[in-house]
Amino acid sequence: MKTSVKKLATAVGASVALMAAGQAAAEIRIGIAGPMTGPVAQYGDMQFSGARMAIERINADGGVMGEQLVGIEVDDVCDPKQAVTVANRLVNEGVQYVVGHLCSSSTQPASDIYEDEGILMITPASTSPEITQRGYELLFRTIGLDSMQGPVAGNFIVSQNPNRVAVIHDKQQYGEGIATAVRDTLRDAGVDVAMFEGITAGDKDFSSLVTKIKQANVDFVYYGGYHPELGLILRQARQGDVSSKFMGPEGVGNKDINTIAGEAAEGLLVTLPPSFDEKEENQDLVAAFAAKGEDTSGPFVLTSYAAVQLIADGIEQAGSKDPFEVAKALRAGTFETPIGTVQFDQAGDMESFEFVVYEWHTDGSKTPVN
Amino acid sequence: MAAHNVKHALFCAVVTLVVAYPILGLNLVAQGTRVGLEGADASTIIIIFLASVAVFAFQLYRDTIMASLSKAPRLNPLAGREPMPQARRVKLESWVLTGIIVLALFWPFFVSRGSVDLATLVLIYVMLALGLNVVVGLAGLLDLGYVAFYAVGAYTFALLSQYMGISFWMALPLGALFAALFGLVLGFPVLRLRGDYLAIVTLGFGEIIRILLNNWTAVTGGPNGIGGIPEPTLFGMEFGRRVKEEGNTSFHDTFGIAYSGEHKVIFLYLIALVLAVITALVIRRLMRMPVGRAWEALREDEIAARSLGLSRTAVKLSAFTIGAFFAGFAGTVFASKQGFISPESFVFLESAIILAIVVLGGMGSQLGVILAAIAVTILPELAREFSDYRMLVFGAAMVLMMVWRPQGLMPMRRTHIELKRQE
Amino acid sequence: MQDLLYFSQQLINGLTIGSTYALIAIGYTMVYGIIGMINFAHGEIYMIGAYTALIAITGLATLGIAWLPLILIVALLCAIIVSSSMGWAVERVAYRPVRGRHRLIPLISAIGMSIFLQNYVHLAQGSRNIGFPALIDGSFRFGSGEGFQMSISYMQITIFITTLICMTVLSLFISRSRIGRACRAVSQDLGMANLLGIDTNRIISATFVIGAALAAVAGLLLGMYYGSVDPLFGFIAGLKAFTAAVLGGIGSIPGAMLGGLILGVAESMTSGYLSGEYKDVVAFSLLILILLFKPTGLLGKPEVEKI
Repeated sequence: MKTSVKKLATAVGASVALMAAGQAAAEIRIGIAGPMTGPVAQYGDMQFSGARMAIERINADGGVMGEQLVGIEVDDVCDPKQAVTVANRLVNEGVQYVVGHLCSSSTQPASDIYEDEGILMITPASTSPEITQRGYELLFRTIGLDSMQGPVAGNFIVSQNPNRVAVIHDKQQYGEGIATAVRDTLRDAGVDVAMFEGITAGDKDFSSLVTKIKQANVDFVYYGGYHPELGLILRQARQGDVSSKFMGPEGVGNKDINTIAGEAAEGLLVTLPPSFDEKEENQDLVAAFAAKGEDTSGPFVLTSYAAVQLIADGIEQAGSKDPFEVAKALRAGTFETPIGTVQFDQAGDMESFEFVVYEWHTDGSKTPVN
Repeated sequence: MAAHNVKHALFCAVVTLVVAYPILGLNLVAQGTRVGLEGADASTIIIIFLASVAVFAFQLYRDTIMASLSKAPRLNPLAGREPMPQARRVKLESWVLTGIIVLALFWPFFVSRGSVDLATLVLIYVMLALGLNVVVGLAGLLDLGYVAFYAVGAYTFALLSQYMGISFWMALPLGALFAALFGLVLGFPVLRLRGDYLAIVTLGFGEIIRILLNNWTAVTGGPNGIGGIPEPTLFGMEFGRRVKEEGNTSFHDTFGIAYSGEHKVIFLYLIALVLAVITALVIRRLMRMPVGRAWEALREDEIAARSLGLSRTAVKLSAFTIGAFFAGFAGTVFASKQGFISPESFVFLESAIILAIVVLGGMGSQLGVILAAIAVTILPELAREFSDYRMLVFGAAMVLMMVWRPQGLMPMRRTHIELKRQE
Repeated sequence: MQDLLYFSQQLINGLTIGSTYALIAIGYTMVYGIIGMINFAHGEIYMIGAYTALIAITGLATLGIAWLPLILIVALLCAIIVSSSMGWAVERVAYRPVRGRHRLIPLISAIGMSIFLQNYVHLAQGSRNIGFPALIDGSFRFGSGEGFQMSISYMQITIFITTLICMTVLSLFISRSRIGRACRAVSQDLGMANLLGIDTNRIISATFVIGAALAAVAGLLLGMYYGSVDPLFGFIAGLKAFTAAVLGGIGSIPGAMLGGLILGVAESMTSGYLSGEYKDVVAFSLLILILLFKPTGLLGKPEVEKI
């Protein structure tokens, strides 16, 4: 009885594998996983539009090794539980490559499944350092880490010679990760970090926090988190006569912060990846996005594009569709992508990912600060 | 048609318009750095208008419509039949349950991995709902923070495995007992609160647990959560591609078969199934034991129950603790299934969904709760194309269900002694 | 002196928030007092009020109207009308059909309604945080040029005064007017009030409408004070307001005010002297503690167990 069940299980497993192989012979399936709905859907849109464009353009150029790419889009709502569900569904679909997920807390449990199932995954948006610290073979990312961005911001603050600095974060993986890195950089440089504390994401009343910042008499405030909260903090700080300089990571650097903070957004400092869409060599691509009525200024559009392109290039280089071979090829080679020359380290992170400090203006524009 | 009716219908139509038009018909959009207003497209406006006309017509002819509805033959063909004799019903129910369990045992070998994974999730919700059923359905204690015990179970396993390397099988009873302990400690002071006060306090407690888990970064990893939670092993055999813990062997090597991720998923499913069956059986037993009767007695009439010598505290506390115990069970399985947990999996909405399952299923009824757990978990998955409308429909369904069938899918029927009729 | 100024500033922050909690809490407490149910969707009514006000303000700005009092009055009226209609409709659709059933039934219906309304606004207006213009800007400042300066913004003063007016009007309304008297009668004994010829259905509708109107006022005020709206913020605020209502003794209108103020001050003091991360923990712990020692809240009537 017991053995027969096991045999049955093996037979079913084998047939599923066969089916998957059968499908892969005709086309190369790439799963694209991110939030289509829910509170961070706007970042998911960036990811989907970038990946779609890459698939379209690669297919128009004749595909990869003569085969067409097919994107299979799934919605994880940035919820770890749903991420596991959709990851299993992608396994079902016979997908061998995944671009995603967006939120680090979704990427983490989903990557366990992909690694186990021999699926290669490139995340264009998850910045938590922990993700690539687990020694996974098939996991890459095309974005900088919180632990890279934090020191950039921290060193910039040090260069401004502040007397006292406050570091605030939103108690989420992304915000707290960057804020911790900033605080450590500041402490190492001997800067007085007068405050290090969390707020509640989704909260709207920051009057007490603003009063506290004022009392602490700091001249620089770093905020790790997203724009909805920082926008409110800026605005309420202005109302509460706080004159400190504010700074945040790329999660605050979009135009929505202007609709919330209004004039208080003037002079905000933001660390951002360099604007890939302003590069000379990408103008052709930007025009293609514009022709479809899509915006390329979001931070994850071109990183997603690059992720798809890297999968295609990896397959070409390896001369094989086996994800393990492709992973080896990705680790070995250097690749030209819209986000620059990409070279991966052993962990699967990019060897270098640059961050630039920008100054934000009331009209939503930004200028680089030296 | 009375003039009053026209007036009322007109009022209702205007309210529909007022409620729908500003929110649906005028959209706030970011125009660069400013917020602007855009009218919705023509179809939306037409729909709003039609809806308001429909409301007007319905309210105008409300009495006629209602009368013709009640006159129409009942749609349910079984509506008029005699209730089944109790002995037969009980027998039938146990046959159906056995059938379902047998089916559930073999089913995963024939379907896709995604379905099995989803079924595991359903079973976790079944466990949670059965546990909450004890608290809400049987003992009548409104608990809005049930998710806290679920979190305690999940985190107990995660922390024990991270700091002490304890395996799933060790953590399963520990997680459940620890959750039960929490239930006991919390229950002791708050159970003297009545009804809705209890509801808000449990809600607060649920939030407190979540915030503490989120803030205690040094131990729980805070928002980063805890990853690398081991999967259950089968007599020291692991199901992963590579063996993670020393001394263990891998399942596929031992049996000399090719590695397949299916094994792991199916094994986890079977564990969840066995645990869910155990949960159902234990609670079924408890319901027929004196303590189960005491729960229901206290729910129906607290004063009468107390005057019959039942200890209010002891009875309520037992329900609370047992409910928490099974939530701990479910939490451990969830942590193992996910391999990664963070506080965002334990928000209030989760409590609301579990409560909705209990109520939709028919409070107190086990079969109903199981059906409702399946419906609530699977329907949103099936309706993924309408993913935007998923939660909207979920909310509306909760309201409509309460209005039309408040007793739930399968209302609970108590076993009772039937008196012989005097001929 | 410095510390005193700092303390006063936090106190004022807390009282501002607290008074808006109180405005929202009225809706919970009146409904509970009359039909004994928790109207979970009340926070969403407040959120819809804030959205409507913002839509009205944006609409007027598009039309080129810039006279502040007119903008405020139109926004307030729009918010009150839409929210009240919403309150009325919600009661009609989701609560009246289930009235008098087991007390879990209306509660589930209310949670369902809350989820429905959240997603209704989410689908119609998107999930983004939308900025709310600061119409009333500026503040009074206290303290010497050096060191900590205390500032009370005009917006905070507006919130105080508006809340005070609303509460006074409401108290007068409840104690003097015909409908107010009927409300009190219904809350004491619904069946008896019915027998005495009071149209209880109308009174219950009126309760929902009044609660919703106050929530709309809070929506406009808080929208301007905080600076943004999103579809989820009603739920959190609703939870806090409900906690405030229970803290003060649910069913009691002065209790809602007291509860709101205590909760607001407790929150701002926690953020001010401890850490903002723990403010919800302190708020809920305070609730649990008070209920343990005074199981019906601060100003609630002790419940008599009837046999």
